[in-house]
Amino acid sequence: MNWFQRLSKTGRMEKELDGELRFHFETQVADKINAGLTEAEARRATRLEFGGLEQIKEDCRESRGTLWLVSIVQDLRFGARILAKSPGFSLTAILVLALGIGVCTLAFSLYNIAALQYLPVRDPATVVRIQRRSPGNINPGVPYASIAYYRDNAKSLSAVMATMRASPLVLNQDEQRVSSTFVSSNYFSELGGSAATGRLFDAARDDSASAAVCVLSFRLWQRKFDGDPSIVGKAIRLGGKPTMVIGVASETFASLGTDNPDLWLPLLQHSYFVEGSKPLTDPHFGGLIGMWGRLAPGVSRSSAEQELLSLTNQLRKIFPAIIWDHEYIVITPGAHFLSFEGGPPVLALVGLLVFLILAIACANLGGLLMARGAGRQREIQLRFDLGARKLRVFRQLLTENLLLGLLGSIAALPLSYGVLRLVLVYSNAPSWMSALPNWRVLLFTTAMGFVAALVFGLLPTLQMVRRKKNRSLWHQMVVCAQVGASCVLLILAGLLVRATLHTLYSDPGFGYEQVLSIDPGMSGHGFASAQAQAYLDQLQNRLRAVPGVTFVSTARVPPLVNTIVMITSIDVDGRRIMIYPNWVGPEFFQTMRIPLLRGHYFHNGEKNAVILSESLARKRWSSEDPIGKQWEKSNDVVVGVVGNTRAMELNNTDATEIYYPLTADDFPAMSVLVRAAGDPNTLTPTIKAIAGGIDTGLYPTITPLTAGFRKNVSQVEQMATIISLLGSIAIFLAVVGLFGLVSYAVSQRTKEIAIRLALGANRAEIFSAVLRRFAWPVLLGLVAGVAITAGLSQILRRGLYGISGLDPISYMGAMAILLAILAAAGLLPVRRAFQLDIARILHFE
Amino acid sequence: MSTASKFELPQGTLDLLILRVVALRPIHGHAIAQHQMISKEALQIQQGSLYPALYRLENKNFLVAEWGPTETGCEAKFYRLTAKGRTQLKTETESWGA
Repeated sequence: MNWFQRLSKTGRMEKELDGELRFHFETQVADKINAGLTEAEARRATRLEFGGLEQIKEDCRESRGTLWLVSIVQDLRFGARILAKSPGFSLTAILVLALGIGVCTLAFSLYNIAALQYLPVRDPATVVRIQRRSPGNINPGVPYASIAYYRDNAKSLSAVMATMRASPLVLNQDEQRVSSTFVSSNYFSELGGSAATGRLFDAARDDSASAAVCVLSFRLWQRKFDGDPSIVGKAIRLGGKPTMVIGVASETFASLGTDNPDLWLPLLQHSYFVEGSKPLTDPHFGGLIGMWGRLAPGVSRSSAEQELLSLTNQLRKIFPAIIWDHEYIVITPGAHFLSFEGGPPVLALVGLLVFLILAIACANLGGLLMARGAGRQREIQLRFDLGARKLRVFRQLLTENLLLGLLGSIAALPLSYGVLRLVLVYSNAPSWMSALPNWRVLLFTTAMGFVAALVFGLLPTLQMVRRKKNRSLWHQMVVCAQVGASCVLLILAGLLVRATLHTLYSDPGFGYEQVLSIDPGMSGHGFASAQAQAYLDQLQNRLRAVPGVTFVSTARVPPLVNTIVMITSIDVDGRRIMIYPNWVGPEFFQTMRIPLLRGHYFHNGEKNAVILSESLARKRWSSEDPIGKQWEKSNDVVVGVVGNTRAMELNNTDATEIYYPLTADDFPAMSVLVRAAGDPNTLTPTIKAIAGGIDTGLYPTITPLTAGFRKNVSQVEQMATIISLLGSIAIFLAVVGLFGLVSYAVSQRTKEIAIRLALGANRAEIFSAVLRRFAWPVLLGLVAGVAITAGLSQILRRGLYGISGLDPISYMGAMAILLAILAAAGLLPVRRAFQLDIARILHFE
Repeated sequence: MSTASKFELPQGTLDLLILRVVALRPIHGHAIAQHQMISKEALQIQQGSLYPALYRLENKNFLVAEWGPTETGCEAKFYRLTAKGRTQLKTETESWGA
């Protein structure tokens, strides 16, 4: 019979075995009776000859080759009974596991959604991102002329798409701008997108269209137009330009990349929306257009790269100006939300923290199991005495642990699902992202359950089977590991919480609370330099006349609310120093309340002057006076040193800034800064009226700097909240585990405690005697925890606003909490022991 | 406790004995044991080792079993040799030089 037949006929085979042996037995008895013995004697003699019937049966089963599957099922059933017998322990264990595994599952689910899962587009495996590289350039965008050439000539690509993100545009008269992306007309059709209402871009109709059109996102449609289908066919104003809405994308449409715009515009109509732009021919735009494509059937990425490389070389002859030297093409999978090329170290850190939680959970459980192991010692011993093999008992115990691990995994799934849903909703994730676990997540969770079971179960099981009496060393090591891991988590949580508080209440170096920024967006409307200067002068004069306004100035990069980041660098003694440059108008420093430390502010019309921030001056000329010195290899002379603002990077105490006076080129890109005497928001309506009144073609946005500050800070707040949550979970786990271990230790020594009490020892002495053996593991754990955190904090330094990675308050606080937990974990079981009946204890043992 | 130490005889010898007995006619376990006793063979088969050996041989497809009535009318499990078993018996006998 094959194994399947044997599996299904097990019951019958047992009956047959029983029948066969019984027949033999009875026949033998009958023979003996015939030979002259009485029935009783005959039975007794036969029984002696036979030996143990059960033993024979067991041997027969083994000879037949017991099915591996049957004995596993046996083990599982027995394991389930054992768990049901002590529900308190089992539930605690499952909860602990669910927390540990749940956290890991959550992290993996996020990673899965972001990087492993395909976007819900048509045929995602063939969608690719196409970037150009060269040894000297890192900008991955591709000039439109190249894109068109590749599209027309590449045989390895069945389709080519282009996307370009736009700066936020003003929708009708709203204050809040909408995000938009310019896309090629085949974007929606290639990705298989469908329309919720109206239609989407269509190459045949939109490429040669004369009127401007747009497609709304489902989100924007609901939010701004209340899901009213009559918006289709109506015109809206984007940046003042009338645009017809031709349709709305479906709710589950997924954009390529991390794009999630409010609406889409045709790429070929870019110059309509941004006057004076020439995206199709201007090589300057090459850096902003992203190229995507679909591989032709059967074509691999590398062969496509080869073909594009040869096309690039041909292209160099036609348009030499736009092709770099040694340019080559890199093709990567395009249908994922994020692509981790090289992966940021933050990922590794989060992964580490998450596994730390699981490790603590396993250590907990291991400790609890060892505590319980003592209680089951008799049962194990009995099994060995009855003739069980070591391997069999070991397998049985391991199966129990695996069952526990599996139950923990099952309990972890709803936990992580719930939290994931919250995360997705809270972070306004695109609607195609779902919290439901897919096969990868399920597989991961089950695997984690097994791994956890092996990790926490191995040591206690080995101990139980080997019957070693000296268990205390393992206990101490587990306590040490637990204390260490909890210590790390608590200190990290403390550091991050402190950093958040520090950010919110510390002074970033300049007075931002009362400043508003006005961005007229002149560069988007094709303003020339002289025109822009005239506008700015007019605006500033009118603003100065408003009561409540103390200072007005201009800056190319308005602090905290800037939409672009400019950065440059210099080399000093072989070290590279990054610097944030800014071009500012007169009275900028007074408007921003940046203190002057040396020299003077820019005079009106001053040229060839620079002002350094204090940290930059210190780094460049540490001991000399920088005033009057030449700046790098330019004609500029240092005329002043001002305080640091760290406006571009609030969390970096090393950030440096350099300020230049305005030049003619800067005017179209300037923002106006207004300082109010009181609350700046009261001036907003007046300012809006003035700003809109000078030029009706412009739609300036007004943003208080506090809003920008909030946004910068909120990211850290979120991280801190998450870390605090993880820390709380760690505390809970630590309490559970330490409690179990210590109560076991105490229970082992109940007899000793009873004797000491009877002999008159006071409680404090007994307390210290019982727990003294845990002193060195706890100490070692604390030291290890502090050391590890000190090391980790150096990596985290950039995330810690203004406080040191060795901040003593956090360290002390964490250790105090941990010691308090340990004291409680130790006190309660000992107190319980004191209350036991001494006579009974002594009698029992 | 391993299986080997329980058997008096090395497994090969026991198997051979059983095969020889079953080769004569389809037989049930009790009768095999009786045969050994009556024939006063120098080697005694312990009850405890007989049945595991029978199951082992059945597992290897040297024997095949079916239930049938005995002379006394009870139901018993009768074993008989398969073709494979016959070949095995012949090979083993030859290798023993018996």
